[in-house]
Amino acid sequence: MTGKQPNVFVVDDDQAMRSSLKWLIESVGMRVETYATADEFIQNYYPGRAGCLLLDVRMPGMSGLELQEHFLKHQINIPIIIITGHGDVPMAVRAMKSGAVDFIEKPFNDELLLESIRNALALDTEQRKTQAERAEIATRLANLTPREHEVMEMVTAGKANKEIAQALGVSAKTVEAHRSRVMEKMQADSLADLVKMAVAANINISDENE
Amino acid sequence: MKKRTALLKRLESWLLGHLRRIPMTLLSILIGLACGALVWAVLDQVQPKALRSIFDEELQTRLEQQARETLIRFENYVAAHTSTTRLLANHRSLSSYLDPIYWSDLEESDPTVYFSPPPWLPATSLWRSLVEPGKILLIDRQGRTREVYNLDLRLLPPELLKVDRRFLTESRVQAFLTTLEGRPYLLISEVAEDGTGTNMGYLMMVVPLDSEFLLASQQGVSSSGVLVGLFDADEQRFLSSSDSRVVPAGSRIEQVSRNFVVTAQSFFQYEGSVLNMQFATLVPRSALEETQQRVEGVERRQRLVAATTFISVFTLVFYLLSERLNRILRRISLFSRRALGRRQPAIERGNQIYLLEDWIKQFIGNVLTAREEMRREHETELKQSEAIKQAILEAALDPIITIDRKGKIIEFNSTAEKEFGYRRDDVIGILFPSLIIRAEDNPKFNRMLKRLETDASLERGEIRGEMSALRADTTQFPVEVAIKPIQLPLKEVFTIYVRDITSRRRAEEMIVSLAKFPTESPSPILRVNRPGVIIYANPASAPLLAYWECAQGQKLPLYWRNRVVNAFNSGSDWESEVIVGEHIYSLLVTPVVELNYVNIYGRDITEVRRAEIEARQHQQELVHVSRLSTMGEMATGLAHELNQPLSAIANYASGCVRRLPAEMEGADDLKFALGQISGQAERAGEIIRRLRRLVGKQLPVRSEADMNNLIREVCTFVEFEARKTGVIVEQELTAGRLPVRVDVVQIEQVLLNLIRNALEALQEVPEKRRSLVVRSGYQESGEVRVDVVDTGSGIKKEAARNLFTPFFTTKASGMGMGLVISQTIAKDHGGKIEVDPTVSVGSHFCLTLPAYENLEDKQ
Repeated sequence: MTGKQPNVFVVDDDQAMRSSLKWLIESVGMRVETYATADEFIQNYYPGRAGCLLLDVRMPGMSGLELQEHFLKHQINIPIIIITGHGDVPMAVRAMKSGAVDFIEKPFNDELLLESIRNALALDTEQRKTQAERAEIATRLANLTPREHEVMEMVTAGKANKEIAQALGVSAKTVEAHRSRVMEKMQADSLADLVKMAVAANINISDENE
Repeated sequence: MKKRTALLKRLESWLLGHLRRIPMTLLSILIGLACGALVWAVLDQVQPKALRSIFDEELQTRLEQQARETLIRFENYVAAHTSTTRLLANHRSLSSYLDPIYWSDLEESDPTVYFSPPPWLPATSLWRSLVEPGKILLIDRQGRTREVYNLDLRLLPPELLKVDRRFLTESRVQAFLTTLEGRPYLLISEVAEDGTGTNMGYLMMVVPLDSEFLLASQQGVSSSGVLVGLFDADEQRFLSSSDSRVVPAGSRIEQVSRNFVVTAQSFFQYEGSVLNMQFATLVPRSALEETQQRVEGVERRQRLVAATTFISVFTLVFYLLSERLNRILRRISLFSRRALGRRQPAIERGNQIYLLEDWIKQFIGNVLTAREEMRREHETELKQSEAIKQAILEAALDPIITIDRKGKIIEFNSTAEKEFGYRRDDVIGILFPSLIIRAEDNPKFNRMLKRLETDASLERGEIRGEMSALRADTTQFPVEVAIKPIQLPLKEVFTIYVRDITSRRRAEEMIVSLAKFPTESPSPILRVNRPGVIIYANPASAPLLAYWECAQGQKLPLYWRNRVVNAFNSGSDWESEVIVGEHIYSLLVTPVVELNYVNIYGRDITEVRRAEIEARQHQQELVHVSRLSTMGEMATGLAHELNQPLSAIANYASGCVRRLPAEMEGADDLKFALGQISGQAERAGEIIRRLRRLVGKQLPVRSEADMNNLIREVCTFVEFEARKTGVIVEQELTAGRLPVRVDVVQIEQVLLNLIRNALEALQEVPEKRRSLVVRSGYQESGEVRVDVVDTGSGIKKEAARNLFTPFFTTKASGMGMGLVISQTIAKDHGGKIEVDPTVSVGSHFCLTLPAYENLEDKQ
C-alpha cells in the first residue's frame, strides 16, 4: 500500500462527464480510472487498492446508493464522494449515512472537488495505516499465551501487580515475569504504548472503571 | 123418524121466523109472563107438599110438647097427693089417736067407716084444697083395713079390705096406679106410728082417677079442647078421660082417633099393677086443620106477590135492555154504513137480539177473514224478514254471536265459524267470554255487559270495546267488540259483533307514523295553498321560514307566491335552489291540483355542493399539481441532462487552466477565457437549479391516508374514461384500512398515471379481452402494495429497459414523463414502482409504499 500511487475511481454513466473529470483530476497529477457502471467498477476493484471513489448517484442499473450498500456489506472502506445533478436533501442524508465522505452538486467548482478528493485520499491513507497497525498488533496478540493475555488485559485495565497476583492466585514475581514477557512480545516500549495497542486492538479497558 | 126431524126443523124455522118479527119489548113482556106463570105453577106443585111435611113435623113436635107438659102436670098433681099423704100420716092427731089403740091380729071385724072427718085427721082445711081423695084408709100391719074415711061415698072395693102387700110401703111413701073393679085408682100409703113410735100400720089414700081428678090435675090449663086420659094399652081402650062426655070410659082408640090426635105416654114411676096403663093426651083434629089452612093461605099470598114482582122487574129490565140494544144497533148500523160501507144491520121491525146476533156473526166473520189475511200477510213478511235477517247474518262480514244473560252462546254465524275456527253446533251453550275472549280481557268484557244493563245513558243502547280474541288454534288477534242488547218477550239476549281490527290497527299505526313522517323528516316539508298561505311547515323548515320572514298560517313572499301559482297553472313540478345564510336548499314545488295545494319538499344540499366544489377544487389541484410536477420533473430531467454537459464543460475548462504552463505566453488571456467558460457553465447550471427549485420542489406535504380510499377516489376520476373504453375497473381491495403517510395528491397522480396507461394499453386489444384490476394489500416485508394489472398490449422488450427514462415514450402524443414522474414521486415517499416482467399478457405494474406504522416505528 505504501509507496503505491493512489487512484481516483470515477463511476459515471455519462461519457462526457467521465472524460472531463479524468481531464480535470489528472491535471493536478493524480491517477484516474473511469467506469461507466457500478458493476464494471466492482469487477475491477479489490480492497487492497488505495484511492477514493467519485460516484454519480443517478445511473441506470445499480445506482450509486446501491453500490454504497454493496460496499457496506463487503466491509470495503473506500471513501466515496457523491456527485449529483440535483442534490435533494433526503438523498444526501441517505448517502452520508451510508458512509459517503462528501456530497457535491453538479456543476461543481473545480477547487472544491479537488479539495474534497485530496481529503478523501488522505482519509484513505489514514484508514489503511490504522488497519495495518491493527493487523500487526493482532499478530503480536496471537503470540501471547492465554495467561499472558490475561495479565495484559489486567495491566492495561490499570491494576497493580499485587492485585493481579491475588486475582490469579499466583505470586507477584510470576506476574512480573508475565508482564515483562508481554511487553517484549508486544514490542511495547512503555505501559502507555501497551495501552494504546490494546485500544487499537479493541481490547476493552473500561470494564473495571465503569 | 126422519120425517119427524124434518117436521121439527120446519117448526123451528117457522117459530124463529115469527120470533124475529116480534119486537124485543113485547117479547120480553111475553117471556116475563111465561116465566112467572111457569114459576108459579111449579112452586104451587112443590111448595104445599113441602109445607105440609114441615107443618106435620112442627105439629108432631107441638103435640109431643103438649103431651109432655100434660104428663108433667099430672105427675106433679100425683106428687102433691103423695106429700099430703105423708103429712097426714105423720100428723100429731094420728099418732095421738093411735096411742091407746091396739089392733089384734086375730080379731076379724069390719072396718069402722067415717063419713065425716075422723079424729085421726087434722082439720080438713089443711089438706082438702090440695087433694081430691076418694077414701082414706087406716090399715094394720097385716094389711087389714081397720078404719075408713069415705069421702066419695062409694062402697069400699073388696080388694081394699085386705090390701095386697105390694101396695104397702115399708119405709117411705109410695104411690101406685091400679084398677079396682075396672076403674083406675091411685093408691098412696105411708107408715103410721103411735106417740111412742110403735109401727101400728099404714095410712093409705085411695084416689079414683076419674074425669074430675084428671081435670083437676090439669088445673084448668087445658085449652082449645085438649083432653087427657088414661089408656089401657092392652085393651086399646080408655079407662078415663078429663071430659067423660066427649070420651067416656071404655071408648075405643079408633073411635077417639077420628076426632082427636092421641099421644100416649107410659108411666115409669107408678108401676105396681099388672095393668099396662098409659097416659094419653088428646088434641082435637078440628083445631089442627084450621091452623094448617091459615098457614097455607098466608104462604100462597106471599107466593103471588113474589111472582108478580119477579115478572115486573124482569119485564122492566128486558124493556130497558131492548131499548139500549136498539140504540146500540142504531149506532152500529151507522158505524157499519160509515166504516164498512154496508147497510148492516138494517133496523127493521124485529128482534134486536137476533139482528145483533146476525150482525155479530157476520162481523166476526169479517173480522176473522181480515185477521186471517193480516196474519198471513204478517207471516209472509215475517218469513221474508226472517230470511233476509238470516241471509244478512250469514253474509255478514263480521262474526256475529248471540248470547244470553249468562253469556252462553245461542247463535253463531258462519263468518264467526270461519273466523274463530269453531263449528256452530259445537259452541252453542258454551260461555262466550271464556271461549272467545282472551283471559286477561274477560273482566273488561263482563264490565261492558254490566254497564249495558245498568247504564241507561248509553248511546243507542250499545257498547263497544277493544280487546284480544282467541281462535281455536289459540292464535290471538285484536278485535273491536260491539254488544247490543235485544229485548225478547221472554228474555233478554245480547248480540255481539266482533270485528278483526288487525289491519285497521296496522293502518292506524301506519297513519300515525305517516302523520309523524314529515315532522320527523330532517328536510323541510311545507304545504301551501293556492293563495300562498303556508298550511303546514315541519320543524326542519324553520330556517326557510326565517329566511322568508313568515310563519305557518302566513303568506309566502310575492316571488314564491308567483311560483306557487305557476306550479298550479302548469300542473308540473318546479325545482329551484335557494341560499339561506350558509345553507343551500333545493326546493321542489309539487302541485296537488285536485286538493288545491302544493307540497314543497326542501333538501339541504349545502354539503353536496361543498363536496362538489371540493371535488372540483381537488381535481383542479390535481391537474395543477400534475402540470407542476410534470414541469418540475421536466426541469429535473432537463437539469440532469444539461448538468452533465455543463459539468463536463466546466471540468474541461478547469483542467485546461490547470494544464496551462504559467510561463506560456498569453497564458493569462487563455486562463481568463477558460475561467469564463467554466464560470458561464456554472452560471447556466445555477439558472437551471433555480428554475427547478421554482417549479418543482415544494416542501413535501405528508398526511395520513387510507390507500384504499385513494384508489377508490382515483377510480371515480377515471370512471368516464373507463366506460368509454368499455372497461370496468375491478377493485380488489383489502377489507381494512391501508394506512400510509403520503402527499395525497401526488400518490393519486401516480395511481392515475398507472391506470390511464393501462386503459390506453387496453384500447389496443379487442373489447372482450379488456380487463383491468386494481388490487391492494401488504407486502411480505410489511409495505403497502398496489397492483395495476391489465390485459392490454403489454410492454415491448426495448421499451421495458427505458420505461423510467425521461422523455421516452411509446405513445404518439406522449411526453415520456408520466412513469418518470411517478417513479420520482414513489421514491420521494420511500417507495418504488416496479414492472412484473413475467406476465405474458398485458402488463403488471406494482407500486410499493412504506406503511404508516412502519415509518413511525423507525423514527
